[in-house]
Amino acid sequence: MMPAKSRPIWDLAPMLIAFVVAIILLFVGKAAQVVIISLLLAYILDPVVTALESRGVPRGLATLLVLLFLGTTIAVLAILLVPVIIHQVRALQSGATTQVAAKAIETIQQSLRERLSFLGLGSLDLGAKIEEFKRTIGEKVFEFLVKDSLELVISVVTIPFMMFFFLKDGRDLKKRVVSMVPNRYFEFTLDLLYKMDVQLGNYLRGQFVDALTFGVLSIIALWILGVNYFVFLGAFAGLANLIPYVGPIAGMVPAAIVAVLNSGSLGSAVAVIIAFAILKLVDDFVVQPLVVASSVEMHPVLVLVAIMIGGELFGILGMLLAVPVAGFFKVVLKEGVNTYRKYRFS
Amino acid sequence: MTDFRARVFGYHRKAHEDEDLQTVLEKIPIFQDLSKRELAAVVRVLHRREYVPDELIIRQDEPGLGMYIIQKGKAVVVTEPDNIQLSELSDGDFFGEVSLLDETPRSASVIARSHCTIFGFFQSDLFSLIERDPRFGVKIVVRVAKIIGDRLRKANQQMQALTEDLQRARGSQTRADRP
Repeated sequence: MMPAKSRPIWDLAPMLIAFVVAIILLFVGKAAQVVIISLLLAYILDPVVTALESRGVPRGLATLLVLLFLGTTIAVLAILLVPVIIHQVRALQSGATTQVAAKAIETIQQSLRERLSFLGLGSLDLGAKIEEFKRTIGEKVFEFLVKDSLELVISVVTIPFMMFFFLKDGRDLKKRVVSMVPNRYFEFTLDLLYKMDVQLGNYLRGQFVDALTFGVLSIIALWILGVNYFVFLGAFAGLANLIPYVGPIAGMVPAAIVAVLNSGSLGSAVAVIIAFAILKLVDDFVVQPLVVASSVEMHPVLVLVAIMIGGELFGILGMLLAVPVAGFFKVVLKEGVNTYRKYRFS
Repeated sequence: MTDFRARVFGYHRKAHEDEDLQTVLEKIPIFQDLSKRELAAVVRVLHRREYVPDELIIRQDEPGLGMYIIQKGKAVVVTEPDNIQLSELSDGDFFGEVSLLDETPRSASVIARSHCTIFGFFQSDLFSLIERDPRFGVKIVVRVAKIIGDRLRKANQQMQALTEDLQRARGSQTRADRP
């Protein structure tokens, strides 16, 4: 075996590729989002289609069956949940001005003004801030559900369409790409693609299962604690959990605020915080070790930078996609360098 | 309509090529237990590569990812760095089949001697076939294991013969050294 050679330019190549892709994404924006989401979902669902295929179902039919099942499930959930979410958001917008809630807000505001005046909170108007939060969250949800409905319909059509072809013809597409690589780099490319496929597949499926589990557990916990809008808040916590470090807190804060507004006592917020802390411990020590691949561990600074760039480019969706995309480039970089060192290109 | 599509997309040519390739595969021990349908599935995952004379196909000490089947052309197996030619390969020959199970570095290089059309069948393709249809994948694995077993048996026999030769040579040397 030849000794590993140090090639700084090559080592930087994946970073350059990442930079170029980021620039392209910035310009093609929405289309790139749809392609990335379709690719990620196809990746997550690939083992299900393959499992059906191993039972003798042709791949095209297996893909169709999986997408039909998924589409039906989402449609049923949408029919059941969208009216509930709209009702809960409307209630959140208008229903928090009970006397108990107003008293609780007044108490917290007074306490903050007295104790944290050195931080410039002497003239804090918590009521106005909460009104602002309620108004903006309502606007965002309605914007997503109603105003952006055309975009939503286009995505609902294009994403499954792309997913169908990625799932059905993914292997052929990969083979076509590999066939364009020059002979000398052909085995290297194949080796790299295979290793990336294994690592990324495990990572993305792990993240998906983890978010789903955290979301369901959050909904159950909030329902037990009697917090209003538990479906909306729990689903949001599950999604937010995809974002490391800041995600769990971002998922917990709205639930804690709603709990205070509901009951008028800080005790209920403390209960929500404790419940989320327990859920996070369960997630970190039970769920994640079981479902999330440890091979795509990323440095906290890299994660935070990725989240900031994702948020800057594509908003909340960008923040959600930032970590899997950063994971993709981490795997490309790691496996690219490791695999390259096994070959003697000269 | 079919004629038009065949002319535009070259369906007939592709089908004809696939049949030719299936005939080549049928003669390779690894694929001998497979049905026509299974052979067609193998053909679908193969990677077709074209090599010009003196082009490197695989290089000694690089990771072994799978096997290659020569459909047309000539190639030689050489060891580096002394460039000793171990054997010559031509139409229907194959090499690197052990790499289907074991990703150890290649033990020799293979270089094209004429224009070659070669098909690659790799470990990742085999694993994918096993995942999709375990019974089918296992047929190939069992065949590869048999080939490795045969080679081990032959290597043992050769080693035994060499040991006997060595002992005989030592015996005759001892006799010759006696005063």
